[in-house]
Amino acid sequence: MSTKNHYAFVIDVARCIDCRACLVACSVENKVPMNHTRIWVHDQGVQGEWPDLSHTFVPYNCMHCDNPPCTEVCVSGATYKDAVTGLVLVDQEACIGCGYCVEACPYGARYIDQRRGVVDKCTACVQRLEVGLQPACVATCVGKARMFGDLNDPTSEASVAIQNATSVTRLDYEKDGTDTDPNIFYLNLPTTGSILSSDTFNQVPNATLPRDSRYTIAEEGWKKVAIPVLAAAMGATFLVQAFFFTKQLVAGEKEFEE
Amino acid sequence: MLKTDISRRDFLKLGSAAVSALAVGQFIPPPVARAAYQTEALDSDGSGYINTMCEMCVWRCGVRAKVVEGKVVKLEGNPDHPHSHGRLCARGQSGLMNTYDPDRVLTPLIRVGKRGEGKFRQASWSEALDMVADKMLTISQNYGPEAMVFSSTHNLSQPLFENLLYGFGSPNYGTQRSLCFNAMVTAFTLTYGIEEPARNYDNVQYILLVGRNLTEAISTSETTELIDSVARGAKLVYLDPRYTKTASKSSEWIPIRPGTDLAFLLAMINVIVIEKIGNCEFIEEHTVGCDKLPDHIADYTPQWAEARTGVPAETINRIAHEFAEARPNALAHPGWRTSNFINSFQTERAIATLNAIVGNIFEPGGCLIAEDTEAASIPLGSPPQPAYPRISATRLDGVPWKYPLVPLKLGVFQELRDAVLTGKPYQAHGWFISRQNPVQSLPDQRKTLEAFNKMDFIVTMDILMNDTGWFSDVVLPEASYLERYDPLMPLGDHIFIRQPVIEPQGEAKSALWVYKELGTRLGLGDFFQYKDEEDYINQQLAPLGFSLSELRLHGSVQTPVAEKSDEIKFNTPSGKVEIYSQTLEKAGFAPMPTWEEPPQPKAGEFYLLTGKVGQHTQFGTQNNQLLHKYEDVPRLWMAPEAAKSLGLKDWDMVEVTSPAGSVKVALEVTSAIRSDCVYLTPGFGHVSMALRTAYGVGVSDSVLHVTYVDPISGGQALSQTFVSVKKA
Repeated sequence: MSTKNHYAFVIDVARCIDCRACLVACSVENKVPMNHTRIWVHDQGVQGEWPDLSHTFVPYNCMHCDNPPCTEVCVSGATYKDAVTGLVLVDQEACIGCGYCVEACPYGARYIDQRRGVVDKCTACVQRLEVGLQPACVATCVGKARMFGDLNDPTSEASVAIQNATSVTRLDYEKDGTDTDPNIFYLNLPTTGSILSSDTFNQVPNATLPRDSRYTIAEEGWKKVAIPVLAAAMGATFLVQAFFFTKQLVAGEKEFEE
Repeated sequence: MLKTDISRRDFLKLGSAAVSALAVGQFIPPPVARAAYQTEALDSDGSGYINTMCEMCVWRCGVRAKVVEGKVVKLEGNPDHPHSHGRLCARGQSGLMNTYDPDRVLTPLIRVGKRGEGKFRQASWSEALDMVADKMLTISQNYGPEAMVFSSTHNLSQPLFENLLYGFGSPNYGTQRSLCFNAMVTAFTLTYGIEEPARNYDNVQYILLVGRNLTEAISTSETTELIDSVARGAKLVYLDPRYTKTASKSSEWIPIRPGTDLAFLLAMINVIVIEKIGNCEFIEEHTVGCDKLPDHIADYTPQWAEARTGVPAETINRIAHEFAEARPNALAHPGWRTSNFINSFQTERAIATLNAIVGNIFEPGGCLIAEDTEAASIPLGSPPQPAYPRISATRLDGVPWKYPLVPLKLGVFQELRDAVLTGKPYQAHGWFISRQNPVQSLPDQRKTLEAFNKMDFIVTMDILMNDTGWFSDVVLPEASYLERYDPLMPLGDHIFIRQPVIEPQGEAKSALWVYKELGTRLGLGDFFQYKDEEDYINQQLAPLGFSLSELRLHGSVQTPVAEKSDEIKFNTPSGKVEIYSQTLEKAGFAPMPTWEEPPQPKAGEFYLLTGKVGQHTQFGTQNNQLLHKYEDVPRLWMAPEAAKSLGLKDWDMVEVTSPAGSVKVALEVTSAIRSDCVYLTPGFGHVSMALRTAYGVGVSDSVLHVTYVDPISGGQALSQTFVSVKKA
């Protein structure tokens, strides 16, 4: 579906230092419960034989797919692809918390906020976009790995970064003959070895997940963050699922240019 | 005030109870919001952005704090600040949780149980400060003012802290510096005449990082500049026994044997000097000792270095050539926490020499700038104050009588405890600690606690009940960096301000207020001639003609600076770069960069390496729940072959033993470390049960660290402790 804007994340993997500023920034900006996270940095561990080692960090979040599987299964119509921005969003007033979309998302990018009984996920910080700010993760990225912009605008930072890139990868997922066409465009994603194959992600699902909150947070700073201690295990489950059938489309795929 | 004894559990309730009490009150524009309203930073309902500065580490990024109805809800990097350029690291982003930590200490506390039992009662500021002043004056009367030890970690209110201790008449001043950068600062002061040369990444093509793990020991702007440089195609050569995240971004990672960076650097100097591929004109014009260099370094060949470092001679030879060819766009980074081995001072001298002989520091646009940006900036005003009383007592940390070249303001903090334990040259009786956690930061934790036991009186000022507060008699609650003013920070042609973005919670007070109130009680009021924090800053601004409200709105003001002359001058005795230092020679040390053989572990032992992670700063942020959320489980790194030979598996609990102590910790088997090393992330293993998030997480390497002091710089050798590991 074509939308007025085509917002997308562009992530230069070569620049990510796994400092996790994005993770904290997102948690604060979006008041994410302590046992959940909306965004991740996938760490497949140190690869290679001493001393020829490599270590790659792959930030990700909701891919805001062109063909999102989550909207298909939503029974209440709460999950939708926004006609203007192209972002995949959840109307939490309408969400009944059934969790079908959580299961349907091949990237594990959604969770159920137990406090409110609704599904929550990356919104690309729409509240910030409305006032002209970048998403919190992008604004603070110390290595300038995370970028965000409108691909319908050839002068946006995101468009320019893709135009200048030597390799662009989308982590596409195919189901029933349809690709998700995700809107995170990875630059400089290593394509050698088993990096980002289903095996890698299955064996080492150690993207940076939130650790259990040890104590309830001060009421003053964080309203309503009473934490039901469930969910850390759920996060791990999602993650295994996340990239299990992920396939990668390597270098040069620049569909948006068509 | 409440005077009944309280248990630990009750104590633990205190923090959140006080916070809740605040939350009940309705919003009335308090002084901070009112002031901010006047400067147009906040709307009439107390919402908006206030520019201030971060204090989650010492880099001091510019911060824009988003405030909603008197509460800070988000922190952004200030795009106009040269240390952040609009970005904050994970620690900076989490800063509001440091302020809203449920474990904040929000009233003064006085110990009622035994030391270390964690029983305290609440007290008023007047009671607590009267008590502190009374104890300090009693110690001074009975034993002399030098019997009070003062220690504090580098921060903007340090000048007032120094007023307190030097006004009181004690020479005993402990800082974090000897645990951190003494080697770098003393080496560069002796060689270039400045403490810390600035780095310039604008045109850099070749970067040599000697253990400077910039992507995990983050200095936001510099980390960004490094990644920009690498993305642009600059070559990054990185020396570290660990495959850190910086190693993963490097063009070439050299897993050098610990303690032998010096040999690597001396061999690079050998190649550049012998083959005359340096910058000869400048060497002759601007340095002392270059004529002696060829003879001095003749034996330090790449082959000689290979035997020590484990790095092939041809690699060292090639890197020396590449480095010299890239000049002046080559940078051998001075490092930061350079307290690694007792030869770290020589390592730093070699780095200073290496940059000099290729001319990096002399040429316009060179990558190392022989000038201190903070020191070079505009002089501020300050309140009038008398001269300090004459202090005749010797310092307990051995400066200068045992460590003649260590600058007084750096000191040799780790040495203090021996004087406390032996009572020689005299007995210390009291310890005033501000924003510092020596129980965790000093090597050999057991020795620190023994020294505490010899003290009649210990007082700690912090925002949390840190491990040192846990063993103190009085704990003074400081306002967090989002709740207080600090003295101004000049940087280049700008002056930056740290200002409150919310009201202090509970009874928390700024250091400026606490030092003045305590100083007045000690009869030192003349050293604190300001009415309040704003008056102090106004006196700083007076000679410059700026108003506080102007500074408050923008977070900074730009000032005219004097034109710099093009003449290259170094603040050394000779006015030149001193590759040969008469100062060192007169003190009985090698006058030129010289190899010193570091000790090696015996068979079956490992080097215990220390380092940093990007989510924490030293020992002060582990209780931050936002950082805890995303931190790695702190485990002991060990190489697969080492683990195999010991019959150990990933996640096994192991016992790590050094001459100083023993800890039990989970194992992380990783190929990211040499097989003769193990590594522990510092800062975990807190002993204060009042740190409810951090308590019980990980172990402290200060339990294991043996105290080894570099005799020249006074730096602690933090990677010189050897440990054995077995299944727990």
